[in-house]
Amino acid sequence: MFGNVLQFRYRLRTNGNWRYPGLVRALPGKASRQPPGPEPVSRDAAAADQRRRILRATAELIATQGYQETTMEEIVRRAKVGYATFYKHYADREAAFLALLDAALGRTVARVEDAYKREEGPWADRVGAALGVLFAEVAAHPEVARVCLVEAVAAGSGPAARHEAALKRLAPLLRPGRELNPRQAELPDSLEETLAGGVVWVLGQRLIAGEAGKLRGLFPETLEFVLRPYVGEDEAAREAGEVAEAISA
Amino acid sequence: MPAEELGPLPAGRHGYSREQVAHHQRERLIAALAAAVAEKGYAAVTLADIVREAKVSRRVFYANFESKEECFLAAFEVVVDHLRVLVGEAVEGIEGWSQRAIAATRAVLRFLAAEPDLARLCLLESRGAGPAVNARFNEAVSELAPLLAKGRAERPAAEHRLPDSTEDSTLGALVSLLHRKVAAGEAAQLEELLPECAELVLLPYLGPAEAARLAREAT
Repeated sequence: MFGNVLQFRYRLRTNGNWRYPGLVRALPGKASRQPPGPEPVSRDAAAADQRRRILRATAELIATQGYQETTMEEIVRRAKVGYATFYKHYADREAAFLALLDAALGRTVARVEDAYKREEGPWADRVGAALGVLFAEVAAHPEVARVCLVEAVAAGSGPAARHEAALKRLAPLLRPGRELNPRQAELPDSLEETLAGGVVWVLGQRLIAGEAGKLRGLFPETLEFVLRPYVGEDEAAREAGEVAEAISA
Repeated sequence: MPAEELGPLPAGRHGYSREQVAHHQRERLIAALAAAVAEKGYAAVTLADIVREAKVSRRVFYANFESKEECFLAAFEVVVDHLRVLVGEAVEGIEGWSQRAIAATRAVLRFLAAEPDLARLCLLESRGAGPAVNARFNEAVSELAPLLAKGRAERPAAEHRLPDSTEDSTLGALVSLLHRKVAAGEAAQLEELLPECAELVLLPYLGPAEAARLAREAT
């Protein structure tokens, strides 16, 4: 008799087909391990949800306590998944961290590049648009930003390399500024990466100080910093002034 | 750091005071950690490596440091203190902020190039050596901000006011530049970066033409 009941519940959970349960029922936001619920969730969706929860938990833990101090146990507990589920998706703690960096850095750099492409004004305006999106992303996701900009650098060669690669992708946005500098032949090859490094450093320092809320004022200042080597002081300050006005308006 | 002078003390009666011996052991442990980090990287270094290299017992290690991280912090501190002395000597007697800034930059780059293992320890390994070391690294870099900010006095008063974050972004750019050079395994060639570093430092305060001219002269 109990066998029947169990079978019935299992059928419910697997949408009737209990040999090949392609569909499982679960509450939204809490995937496959949950009791039967109204919405059927496909295996792919459940797996995607598990990955999202694992990465979010990893980000939150690393942002507050650093990578070295974050244990597997804390990640699975916070993500509300089992160890087996974790290992189904990621080989170890570092693999989850790298996946998190790839997703967050990839998304942010793509948005920054997109803002640069969509702005049709002169180069300095395009850099302003791109930098504005970067600052907005950091302000909107300070924890993830801290993980990408501060903790990644301190977490060994794998994560640090992801961070460096993202910086490298920003360099091509600055490079056209060389055309505006009469001494362009003398500018060092690495100038763009160096400036990007400066921007990331300042952002990181603000995040460490817990000042993600004060990034608005920093944006025009940083724009002035990256434009200055290309267009000179006056033009850089003028552009930064325009941006500062637009923000406060 | 004169690691070769830091061998074990002679056995038997040597006439050194207890304080002298303790100081000597501490210095040896720091030198041993630096050597071990240079050989295999901070993460892979074990306490056993450090005490073997220093030729002291674990008991002596724990009398001086609580952990590998604390020992690393001490090594980092030794290098930063030494750089501070070198910079002080380099700017002594030099007139004018811009020339002092160039001299200081040269002194730092020259030392790090001459001691590539220590350059690696400070700029690369320090990043992965735990939160305390990271915080100390940021502090050591920020210590330079007031020295840069003295360049503000070089600007004509009528000129637009430089943003407050100018020194921070400039220092961040310098750190990024040196970090990439060291990560590329070219720590010994750090001095090549002198014109580039000097120009970064001078640019906000002197403008592009003057910064470039002085940076070229600096080589």
